[in-house]
Amino acid sequence: MRKGRFSRAVGIFIALTASGAAALLWFAVAAGGPALSESPAQGFFFGFWSILYNTDAPAPRITLAAIAMALLLAAGVAAVDRRIANRSRRSLDPLTGPLAPRVVMSATRGVYAGPVKVTVLIPAHNEEISLPLTIASLLEQSRRPDRVIVVADNCSDSTVFLAREAGVEVIESVNNTQKKAGALNQVLQELLPELGDNDVVMVMDADTRLDDGFLAAAVDRFAHDRALMAVGGLFYGEEGHGLIGQFQRNEYLRYSREIRRRRGRVFVLTGTASMFRARALRTVAASRGSSIPGTPGLVYDTAALTEDNELTIALKSLGGLMISPEQCTVVTELMPSWRTLWAQRLRWQRGALENIGAYGITPPTLRYWAQQLGIGYGVIALGSYLLLIFLMVVSLDTWIWFPFWLGLGALFMVERVATVWKGGWRARLLAVTLFPELFFDMFLNVVYLKGVADISLGRTASWKHVAPVRVPETTGAERR
Amino acid sequence: MTITAAVPAGLLFPESLLHSQWFAVLATFVAINTVMYAALALAKILPKLHPSDWIRTRNERSETRSIHPDANN
Repeated sequence: MRKGRFSRAVGIFIALTASGAAALLWFAVAAGGPALSESPAQGFFFGFWSILYNTDAPAPRITLAAIAMALLLAAGVAAVDRRIANRSRRSLDPLTGPLAPRVVMSATRGVYAGPVKVTVLIPAHNEEISLPLTIASLLEQSRRPDRVIVVADNCSDSTVFLAREAGVEVIESVNNTQKKAGALNQVLQELLPELGDNDVVMVMDADTRLDDGFLAAAVDRFAHDRALMAVGGLFYGEEGHGLIGQFQRNEYLRYSREIRRRRGRVFVLTGTASMFRARALRTVAASRGSSIPGTPGLVYDTAALTEDNELTIALKSLGGLMISPEQCTVVTELMPSWRTLWAQRLRWQRGALENIGAYGITPPTLRYWAQQLGIGYGVIALGSYLLLIFLMVVSLDTWIWFPFWLGLGALFMVERVATVWKGGWRARLLAVTLFPELFFDMFLNVVYLKGVADISLGRTASWKHVAPVRVPETTGAERR
Repeated sequence: MTITAAVPAGLLFPESLLHSQWFAVLATFVAINTVMYAALALAKILPKLHPSDWIRTRNERSETRSIHPDANN
C-alpha cells in the first residue's frame, strides 16, 4: 500500500537537505569575508621553551551565534518530540490512535484480566553456542517467565536439542523464507489469540543475556500501568574482542546514558530484548495494510531489514506508550571484526532509512528523520574537520599551537570521558585519546554514506547472516 | 626556524595555502561547526534539566491505571 511512498527518494532527500544546510553555512561564511590567517607569534614558556602560537579564532559574535544555533536546534527537536508524544498520549480517537493510553484505559476500565503473564520468544537460527546462556539468564531471573519458547528457524545445528535439554518449549518454523520476522510471525499468529489483556510477550535474541531484575522491573511496570504497551531493554556490550569491542562498548554506553537522561523515553525497542503487551501486537497486526505498512494480520513487517525499529515506529504511530526502565539491562554480543561490523551497521542504516521512507514524514517519525539529518550533517562536519587538520599538518613546517582549537579539544575530551565513565578505565582511556574514536565515527559515517547511496541507487539490500564461529567469545550472528 | 628557504614550505603544500581566501572560509566553516558540536558536548556533560519538574501541577491521576481496578493509584 503506502510502502514505497518514499523508497529511493529517502536517501536523496536526506543527502540534499544535509548538504544544503552545510552549503548555506559555507556561503554565509564566504559572503562575510572571513579574516585571513595571521602569522604565528612567538612566546616563551618558563623563560626558555620557545613555542609558536596562533591566536586565530572566529569573532566572539560568530562563536556566540554558533552556540545559540546548536542549543536552539537541540532544544527545538526535543520540544517538538515532546509535544508530539504528549499529543498522541492525550488522543481519544480509537481510529487514529487505537493504542493511545486513554483509548486503552477506557476499553479495559473496571475489568481485571488476571495477573501479568510473561511468554518469552527466542528466535534462533543456528545459535547452539549462545542459546544455553540466554535460556539460563531467563530461568535465573528473580521473577521467572511463565513460558519460554525457542523459535527455531531453519536450524541445522543442535539448537533444537539444546533448547529441549534446557527444559524450554521449541517451535520450529515451517517453510519460512523471511528470516527472523517471518518465523516470529508464524508463532505469534498461533500465540496471540490465546493471550489475555494483561499478558505480555517478550522477544529476545539468542545471543543476548538478561541481567537479573529485568523481568521483575518490567512486570511491575506493566502491572501498574495498563496503558503501557511496551518495555524496551537497555543493552550494553559483552567483554572481549579487544579494541573493536571497546569501540562498540563505548558507543552502547553513551546510548544507554542518553536514554537514562531522557528518563527512559524510547528511540528503539531493541530486538535484543523487548516486551510487548498482547493488545499492542494484536492491534499492530490488525492495522497493517491500512494505517501502517505491512501485510494485514502479521505482527512484523517482513519487508523491513530492521524489524525492531519498524515495530517501534508502528507502535508509536498507533499511539502506544513505551519505556526503557533503568533496571532493564541486557548484555549483547558485539561484532568481532570490521567486516562483520560493516555488514551489521549497513543493515541497520539501510533499515532505518527504509523504515522512515515507508512511513513518510509523520509526527511520530519526525524524530527519526531529524536523527538521519543530524548524522548526515555530522558526516560533512567531521569530514571537513579532518580535511582542515590534514591541510594544516602538511602545509606547516613547524609546530604551531592554536589555543582556540586546543580549548575545544579539551572540552571534547572531557565530554568523551564523562559519557563513558561507567565503563571503567579501559573505556575512559580510549575516550581520552580522542582520535581513535573520531576514526571509529568516520567508519560509521562511511557506512552511513554507503547506506544512503545504496538506497538512492536502488541497490538491493540483504540480511546477511554471519555464521557463528566455534571459538569462545566470538560468535558472529547479526542482531538487534 | 633555521631553514634557509625563502618561502616557508610545508611537507606537501606551501604554507601560503593557509593564508588563501578559500582556506579562511574552510577554517571558519569548520570553526563554527566545531563550536556548535562543542556546545552540544557541554550540554551532554552537564546534568540534564527537566523544566517540567519546576512547575507544580496537580499531576495526580484521576483514576487508577493499575491492572487491578480497585487499586488506589
